[in-house]
Amino acid sequence: MVDFTITGKERTTLFAFMALGVVCLIATFLWGDPSDIEGHHTRFWANILHNSVFFTGIAFTALFVTCAFTTAYAGWFTILKRVWEAFYLFIGVGLILMAIFGVATFLGMHDLYHWNMEGITDPDSPVYDELLAGKKGFLNKNVFLIGTVVVLAVWYFFATKLRSISIAEDKDGSKGDFSFHYNIRWWAALFLPIAAFTSAAMIWQWVMSIDSHWYSTMFAWYATASWFVSCLALTILLLIYMKSRGYMEAITGEHLHDLGKYLFAFSIFWTYLWFSQYMLIWYANVGEETIYFRTRVDQFPVLFYVNLVINFLVPFFVLMRNSTKRKYGTLIFVCVIVLFGHWWDFFQMIRPGVLHTAHEVHAMHEGGHGAHATKDVSGHGHDDHAGHGHDDHAAHGHDDHASHGDGEHGHGHSSFVSGFTLPGFLDLGTMLGFLAFFLYFVMGRMASTSLEPANDPFLEESMHHHT
Amino acid sequence: MSHAVVSPIREPLITGNKTYHQITEDLCAPTEKAPGGAWVIAFMLSLMCMTFGVFCILWTIWFGIGSWNLNRTIGWGWDITNFVWWIGIGHAGTLISAILLLFRQKWRTGVNRAAEAMTIFAVMCAALFPGIHVGRMWVVFFFFPYPNTRGPLWVNFNSPLLWDLFAISTYFTVSLLFWYTGLVPDFATVRDRAKGIRKKIYGFLSFGWTGSAKHWQRWESLSLILAGIATPLVLSVHTIVSFDFATSVIPGWHTTIFPPYFVAGAIFSGFAMVLTLMLITRKVLHLEDYITIEHIESMNKVILATGSIVGVAYLTELFVAWYSQYPYEQFAFFNRAVGPYYWSYWGMMACNVITPQLFWSRKMRRSIFWTFLLSIVVNIGMWFERFVIIATTLARDYLPSSWSYYVPTWVEIGIFIGTIGIFFVLYLLFTRVAPVVAIAEIKSILKTGGNQYVGPNATHHHHHDHGHSDHGVQHAFQKGGDHAGTHDAAIAAAPIAPVVKEAVAEKEVEKVEAKSNDFDAAGNFIGKKDDLTKVEGIGPKVQEHLNNAGIFTWAQLANTEVSKIKSVLEAQGGVYARMVPGTWPEQAKMAHEGRWDELQKWQDELDGGV
Repeated sequence: MVDFTITGKERTTLFAFMALGVVCLIATFLWGDPSDIEGHHTRFWANILHNSVFFTGIAFTALFVTCAFTTAYAGWFTILKRVWEAFYLFIGVGLILMAIFGVATFLGMHDLYHWNMEGITDPDSPVYDELLAGKKGFLNKNVFLIGTVVVLAVWYFFATKLRSISIAEDKDGSKGDFSFHYNIRWWAALFLPIAAFTSAAMIWQWVMSIDSHWYSTMFAWYATASWFVSCLALTILLLIYMKSRGYMEAITGEHLHDLGKYLFAFSIFWTYLWFSQYMLIWYANVGEETIYFRTRVDQFPVLFYVNLVINFLVPFFVLMRNSTKRKYGTLIFVCVIVLFGHWWDFFQMIRPGVLHTAHEVHAMHEGGHGAHATKDVSGHGHDDHAGHGHDDHAAHGHDDHASHGDGEHGHGHSSFVSGFTLPGFLDLGTMLGFLAFFLYFVMGRMASTSLEPANDPFLEESMHHHT
Repeated sequence: MSHAVVSPIREPLITGNKTYHQITEDLCAPTEKAPGGAWVIAFMLSLMCMTFGVFCILWTIWFGIGSWNLNRTIGWGWDITNFVWWIGIGHAGTLISAILLLFRQKWRTGVNRAAEAMTIFAVMCAALFPGIHVGRMWVVFFFFPYPNTRGPLWVNFNSPLLWDLFAISTYFTVSLLFWYTGLVPDFATVRDRAKGIRKKIYGFLSFGWTGSAKHWQRWESLSLILAGIATPLVLSVHTIVSFDFATSVIPGWHTTIFPPYFVAGAIFSGFAMVLTLMLITRKVLHLEDYITIEHIESMNKVILATGSIVGVAYLTELFVAWYSQYPYEQFAFFNRAVGPYYWSYWGMMACNVITPQLFWSRKMRRSIFWTFLLSIVVNIGMWFERFVIIATTLARDYLPSSWSYYVPTWVEIGIFIGTIGIFFVLYLLFTRVAPVVAIAEIKSILKTGGNQYVGPNATHHHHHDHGHSDHGVQHAFQKGGDHAGTHDAAIAAAPIAPVVKEAVAEKEVEKVEAKSNDFDAAGNFIGKKDDLTKVEGIGPKVQEHLNNAGIFTWAQLANTEVSKIKSVLEAQGGVYARMVPGTWPEQAKMAHEGRWDELQKWQDELDGGV
């Protein structure tokens, strides 16, 4: 069976989950905010951003890895190429989702991105922030909107281009005619450097700038690794499901073994990047940097440690044996955990910063916390929110920035806030809704053409693949 | 498990229609002949450089570290620059051996042996520098963690410099084991061809290797385990070298991207050095059929990819330095670009990021001249990178009153030249004593990489090649069923049904064409089998192997070329590989024609069929 169709039952199930997602989103909009920052719909926006970034990233890495494998003459993945094609076409949806944030930011929303607050770069304003003023060449609403839209449009252009050549190869190509493949390879090679630069810029904009003072050169690669592992886990899950429905018979234990190896290797790679970033920041103990982890370790300990357990220990120990990479049950177990795990990872990248920003913004609007209204940056010490254990770090900072950044991050450390400290049911429901939507989209794309790229010169090699 | 199917779009990786025997001949030759003039001149030059280096090292030890131009501000100069440079070069070998194995890049077999050797020699050169830059060689044992007799005095386990010691010694050990494991069967091949003292030496080096199935099985498990250990080691070594810098609070050193960026840079420089060496080696030792333009192009692609990753990292650092709004970080990069050492920064950018972009052009990637030139440019660039990171950053620290400028003395330059000498002395010796290309591994890809089997000029048609060689023939792939089912269907659909059966140890055996009426639709032999053991030299076991290779009758054996029989036997390894089947077709012919008396008479003269 090479012609995929969505059954009525699948459609019903996926729509039910999508409805659940919508209901959860509405509920989050109405009642989701922490009690002390009501009215900003912070959790609602954070949920949409988090899932948009996560699923757009999966689509992006599917495109990236397709291009990388094509350029590297990898033959084995050809049989599952159509699945990744369906994945990467989701970039078109990602463009719309992220454009919502671009427009909202352009219109002045600053609940997620503190740097977009009015007056924050104006020295005469009471909310002036010297650091953010310095960054305004990159962190401003114009760059955010135009950058997001242009970059995603470029990605989507490459996605549709590669997809159209791939389909044209089916229709107009023949065995022995390599011209389509050469054409794909040309576009694939061109995409790689473009993707390398633009993905980093997007991650800085979308995710790193939430903790608007903080910076890490590793961050973009770290987040991309997280995307890629998620993409692999979802691919394996979908392939096993499709096999259970009788599709993709040519996918054997050999292919799953290879995908399992990738999942294993890149889970370790993700951990390697996690460790390098954490260890270097912890070791050097520079105030501006270390606050990021200090906040997470002190105020979000479950988020922080569980991240490591489910994204490193589980895939590492379960997938180490050869045989486990060939057992469907075990693979499903690991893939579900790892997929959720990297969603969790993005949760811990996004939510603590968002919560902090929300408190900041709320405080400024209410005028309740005098810190910003009265401070000049260099003289800004620790207010009572600075939190225990921060002081010594701040004191070691090289300059006045340290104490500034530190004082800000202290908010809300003591209380559990559902949807921020840990994912709540509304967040999980929203995620399932997004996941169902992603799968529905992907299945629709898979149904629109043959599952088998019949004239790909590597097809036979892929079908006879042996590890 | 099964014969691999190779896409018709792939280019061959072995040219010149090589047989297994020819491969052995070609690759053993350099170890069996006296070296040529070019080798002798190169060796003498390297030896001179090495001697000068040793002289400079002794000078350093005798007169102290003051003979270098280090000062209070710039405590690390050429010594650590060279150390990191050599360590970086030492990355490609294990990458090719282990990671490319994981990525199933078959072209690794042409270059892995030399790259692994290069790794070991480069790490040896690197390890020299921590030893001498302490100035007092006799306290070098302070590096090693051992409970000493001077009370509770231990090395500082919190120091990345100590982690470096562990990382590098581990890496060196595993790389050496990996390299030597690969060499064992090849040394045995050399041994079996050698006489006299050489036979004794290679016999010792090959650990009594007989090539039995058990040996191969153990060899393969060991290689797999070592590959598994080596893969994280490739990452760990340069990661920890990067920690030497990044754990500090020195702007320009302390940045989180250092670990993966150092690793990418190391692979980049390692591949450049492999290219420099291989381009010369393939010419001098006439290995153009094994290290083809295809290999060179693949390596150039790795250069382009890693060069671009390094470029992304440079620009990330530059951008985040600005983005951080941390004035010291910003100054560090401002100083690199337009400070007194601007030439090294722009030299690094030009050599590492800009010039490799020429490899976007296929013509450039396949040009030997440009590849050679750029491989040297990259190595210069990577040296600049380390110099930029180390000397430039230190030269202008937090206190402008202590700013300094540093140029090396002749002693420092001499030690660097010396390490290049050591490296080449070792490499040149290696090319004479060991097969530079892994014989056993090259043989394992002959059927999937030889130009007579794959690519545009293939003359041996595997069943799966018909779609390529004859565009009209469509494959009736059966979509249902497991892999084996698909495979059988493909055979049935092919116009002539050649029999391809598997042999032990996953080695594919030579296919033998036979008359199609002796075969059923599934490609199984259904004709009458002959007793092949009537041929002297063939026992029941060998008969079994020949049957597996599709030879069932005297007639078939008589019509089979000796070289084909030889390759069937070689695929079995062990004692079979050393059998000499020269007379077998002739004997079989007599048996087929019923000339039994004649055969009997001849067999009396023969000794074991030879």
